[in-house]
Amino acid sequence: MQDSRPPPTSPKLSWSPLVPRSPSVAAHNPATGQQPAKRTVPNFRRMRRLIAEDTEWSLAIVPLLTELCIQNIIRNFQKNPILKQLPPEYQQKVLSQLPPDLPLAVTANLIDDEGYWRRCCMHRWPVCHVARHGGSWKRLFFERHMEGLLCHFIPGTTDPGTILDLLPLCKDFIRSLRVDQLLPPVYLPAPPRVAGDQSDSASEGEPEEISADHYTLGPLVAGLSQLEELDLVYGVKDCGMNFEWKLFLFTYQDCHSLAATIKACHTLKIFRLTRSRVDDEKARILIRSLLDHPALEELDLSHNLIGDRGARGAAKLLSHSHLRVLNLANNRVRAPGAQALAHALTHNTNLLSLNLRLNCIEDEGGQALAHALLSNTCLTTLHLGGNELSEPTATLLSQVLSVNTTLTSINLSCNHIGPDGGKQLLEGVSDNKTLLEFDLRLSDITQECEYLIGQALHTNREAARQQALNPGHFVLPVTASGPGKSVA
Amino acid sequence: MNPPGSMGVQEHSAEEPLSNPIHTPSILSDDPQERIQARRLRIAARVEARRREALGEYLDGKKESEEDHSKSYKQREESRLKLAKLLFYGTELVSNIRVAIDVRETHRRVEEEEIKRLRVEKLENEVKTSQDKFDEITSKWKEGRQRQIPQELWDMLSAQQLHCAGLIEDKNKLISELQQELKVKDDQYVKDLKKQSDDISLLLERMEEQVKSTMKAFRQELVHIEKAFELERQELLISNKKKWEWALQAHSTKELEYLINRMKRVEDYEQQLNKQRIFDCEEYNTIKIKLEQDVQILEQQLQQMKATYQLNQEKLEYNFQVLKKRDEESTVIKSQQKRKINRLQDILNNLRSKYAKQKKQFQEENQSLTTDYKRLVMHFKELQKSMRHFALVDAEKFREIWLMNEEEAKGLIDKAFSVDRIIHTQHLGLPWTAPDLWFLSNVGPISQQPRKSATQIVEEVLRQTEEEEEEEAALHPESYLDLPKQISAKTTKKILMLLCDESGFLIESKLLSLLLSLEKTECYLLRLDAIFSALGIESEDDLYKLVNFFLKYQAHHGSSTQMNPRDQVGTEQPSLTSGVELLSVETAEDQSSPTSVSPRASVASGLEVAEQTGLEGGAGGEQEEKVAPASPGLIHPNDVLKVLEAFVMGLRKPRDLQTLLKVTRNERDDSKDSAYWEALSTVIPDARLSLWDTLYTALERYHHVLTQRAELLLENESLEQQNAELQSLLQQYLHSKINSQLQVPPTQVFRIPTK
Repeated sequence: MQDSRPPPTSPKLSWSPLVPRSPSVAAHNPATGQQPAKRTVPNFRRMRRLIAEDTEWSLAIVPLLTELCIQNIIRNFQKNPILKQLPPEYQQKVLSQLPPDLPLAVTANLIDDEGYWRRCCMHRWPVCHVARHGGSWKRLFFERHMEGLLCHFIPGTTDPGTILDLLPLCKDFIRSLRVDQLLPPVYLPAPPRVAGDQSDSASEGEPEEISADHYTLGPLVAGLSQLEELDLVYGVKDCGMNFEWKLFLFTYQDCHSLAATIKACHTLKIFRLTRSRVDDEKARILIRSLLDHPALEELDLSHNLIGDRGARGAAKLLSHSHLRVLNLANNRVRAPGAQALAHALTHNTNLLSLNLRLNCIEDEGGQALAHALLSNTCLTTLHLGGNELSEPTATLLSQVLSVNTTLTSINLSCNHIGPDGGKQLLEGVSDNKTLLEFDLRLSDITQECEYLIGQALHTNREAARQQALNPGHFVLPVTASGPGKSVA
Repeated sequence: MNPPGSMGVQEHSAEEPLSNPIHTPSILSDDPQERIQARRLRIAARVEARRREALGEYLDGKKESEEDHSKSYKQREESRLKLAKLLFYGTELVSNIRVAIDVRETHRRVEEEEIKRLRVEKLENEVKTSQDKFDEITSKWKEGRQRQIPQELWDMLSAQQLHCAGLIEDKNKLISELQQELKVKDDQYVKDLKKQSDDISLLLERMEEQVKSTMKAFRQELVHIEKAFELERQELLISNKKKWEWALQAHSTKELEYLINRMKRVEDYEQQLNKQRIFDCEEYNTIKIKLEQDVQILEQQLQQMKATYQLNQEKLEYNFQVLKKRDEESTVIKSQQKRKINRLQDILNNLRSKYAKQKKQFQEENQSLTTDYKRLVMHFKELQKSMRHFALVDAEKFREIWLMNEEEAKGLIDKAFSVDRIIHTQHLGLPWTAPDLWFLSNVGPISQQPRKSATQIVEEVLRQTEEEEEEEAALHPESYLDLPKQISAKTTKKILMLLCDESGFLIESKLLSLLLSLEKTECYLLRLDAIFSALGIESEDDLYKLVNFFLKYQAHHGSSTQMNPRDQVGTEQPSLTSGVELLSVETAEDQSSPTSVSPRASVASGLEVAEQTGLEGGAGGEQEEKVAPASPGLIHPNDVLKVLEAFVMGLRKPRDLQTLLKVTRNERDDSKDSAYWEALSTVIPDARLSLWDTLYTALERYHHVLTQRAELLLENESLEQQNAELQSLLQQYLHSKINSQLQVPPTQVFRIPTK
């Protein structure tokens, strides 16, 4: 840095002719546009910085030939994509100026630059959570693109080729698919707003429908070799006053094809099928296909119509897979189903989280689960909100709390625990050192109990924080030096 | 609830701007030196941090944190807790909506369930009642058929119609009720939607509010923390400054104190110095005087020392010279010894090499000798072979020559006999008888009869005795006396039987088992064979010796036992030894006998020899026979072993001699040859020879006369012949022509005598 530093007086002299021509430079390059304004102030440091560190800066007034070439390449990129042959610095330049609406067939396999894909994403969608897509803009682009296509696909009307053509381009990048609506087939003359997000057309659909099957994901999923997450809703979003039951029809045909699809997809880790009116039969079909799945870790069947038989199937799945998270929230599971799950839970060593919110397992099921938790040493999160539980379950749970050392979070909100149950739970919590969260809102317990439980949880949390902080104590200096580097 | 990472970052960002401008050189400064300094410091800090991290100074860190219970730390904790609480309550506030909705939903569900149950009940009741009504109607239809009167039928039909209308009305009512419910539900749906949207908007509002409030709180807390830090720093600065000033003051007072002290001490020292100087001067003088005296004394001593030194030096020089000489001598001796050693080493080496050479040589020699030896052995063997061959050839040749000579001698003898006959018959007119001599019948070389082996003899003996036993009753008991040997066959047999019975231990057990199946005599024979082989009895002689020994022992011992049977055991040994002696004497006699016999035989004629031997045998036989009859019975079987032992002891000695003799025995016995040839040569007795001599002289004389007469006759004849010749010659001369030619013919002169 010191060597390259010119003598303090000369730069001022040599740059003075540049000042009048600066507007042209600014017009050409917005990055350098600020410089002329600053240059008027004789600031030594700024001047020195220019020479030493600003790589963008150049003496060129007339655009260079390379610049022209790059412009040309950018203009004709669609017809003649030249990128890999260019030296790195020009590659960067080209990538930073490519228009975001180039056809995917050209860009998909050619461009890996995150910056380009970031621009593409920002151009298409106002809000982008890149963290939800593994921090990769390219992946985000392709996943959301595919999701959009799937959301607006109308079976029988839209050409399946639109999806399958894209498949070879995006199969290496798509890892998760979150489809929050799958449209049913329409037998009207196609309305002009096929791509629209409302399905008014569907509401006016004929009452006599021959087949209500949705798009079969089989070929698509089979083509995506990296797929890990699949989130499906067989239903229509935002139907509003146009509600009709047939918009939410998850047929047996759909169910069978979906079961075959997920069975064939060995990389699948997370499978969600929510708000799709999955009843016992369909749930059993799906779960049967998931038995002994090599990779599956999370299963979410919340907001469906699964009853005790489906719950029993899920219990069987628990002992025949490596499932870590099971979500059966807002279903129709009653005491027998809960007992089956509890039985499976007794010997399970994989499951970390179980969600049975808004079911109706009642005390019978709650006690069974509590018994199971006496011997289980794996489960950390349990959600039993809105399950008509009352005092007996609370007493058993308090016993569990004094014994169990793995549970960190329990939710018992919206139950009828009662003041006595609250006291017993307080006893259990006071013996426990690992529980961090315990939701008891709207469960008829006294304010005092709730407060004391909150205190106990607070101490537990503080202890856990201390424990987490101590190993991380020495990491702190390294992170502190992080921003320092950027200054250098 | 509160992410610690973000807190850490916050703290950092709060700390950095405060710490930078105060003491450390800034990186952003204009002075390059300062920038360098700043960078260096930063690098050092980083290195330090890494080092501490590597060391894992957990304790240190803890201490630090404990020490750090300052205002800023408290503030931090406080704000952290506050923020955590805020976040917790915020999320609770937000999630309260969800919980409320959940509760509402559960309530709704319960209600719904109740309603559903009621509805189902109602429907079922309705179904039941309507069914009843329907049944009633249908039953009335049957009644209607029975009605004949139209009036009644109409009435009934109208009643039925009424009933049906009622039923339908009921149903319609139900349907309308249900539709009403549906409508209500639709309304409720709309309401729910509205409520949900309200809820959602509320949720959004709360979330936004939450975000805002938390942001505000965070900012506020940040400000608080910053303030706290600032305050702390200020305090720290002030306290440090105070400390510094205090320390400075203390320092200056101390310095002053020291100065005063020092001045005092300087004065003190000066006084002391003066005193010391005076004292030293005095001391110096006294010491000087004393030392000078000392110097004088020392000088004297030095002189003395010098003298002794001189003396010693000379002495030492002399010694040195002597030692040098000795050293030289020793070096000379050393070199000599060295040389000697070298020489001896050389000799040793030479000897070694010589030794090795000789060893080699001897080895070679040894090898050559062994090969020679081998060769000689081979040679010897060949020689033996050839000798054997030659012996055979010689024997053949000898035989041939013998035969030839014999033939010749026989021829001569025949001639002599014929001459003798002629002489006897023709000249002497005596009758002539041909002498019958033993050797005349002999043809070929005289060979001794092969000796029989012991077993053969035994066999013979046994067979004979067996035969004789059969004949014994009829024949004369003495008829077997013509046996060639001294001892009767019977005694022999008895002794042998005894031997056979007593010394069964000498026979191998295997053989015994084999013998059981055989005949008695054969059994005996085989047993005896085994016993003999064990005892070492081989030949006829040995056997007879054995028998003789037995008899002699018996004779000798019998008398002794008769004399004092009590001493039997004691005298046994001597008696045995005497027996042995006896035996050895006998064998010696035996050995000498052939030599003693032969001269006798040579003198005596063949007949005499034959007679003599026969007589001897007979005499011996008789002699023995006298003893024999008593003996067999007297030998106690218990003694047999002792006798045998003694015999074997005795036999061992002569055996050695016999082996020597055996060699000679193998060769031909030519002692009788000379006798034979001698005999051949003396076929004509001396008396006859003298007769022949006298006859010869007489005949010679007669011959002489005859020859004289023959001579005379011959002379006479020759004279007659001469005469005739002379006459013829005269005739010739007379009748020749010359006579006629002559003037005086001789014929005229004389007269022819012939006429």
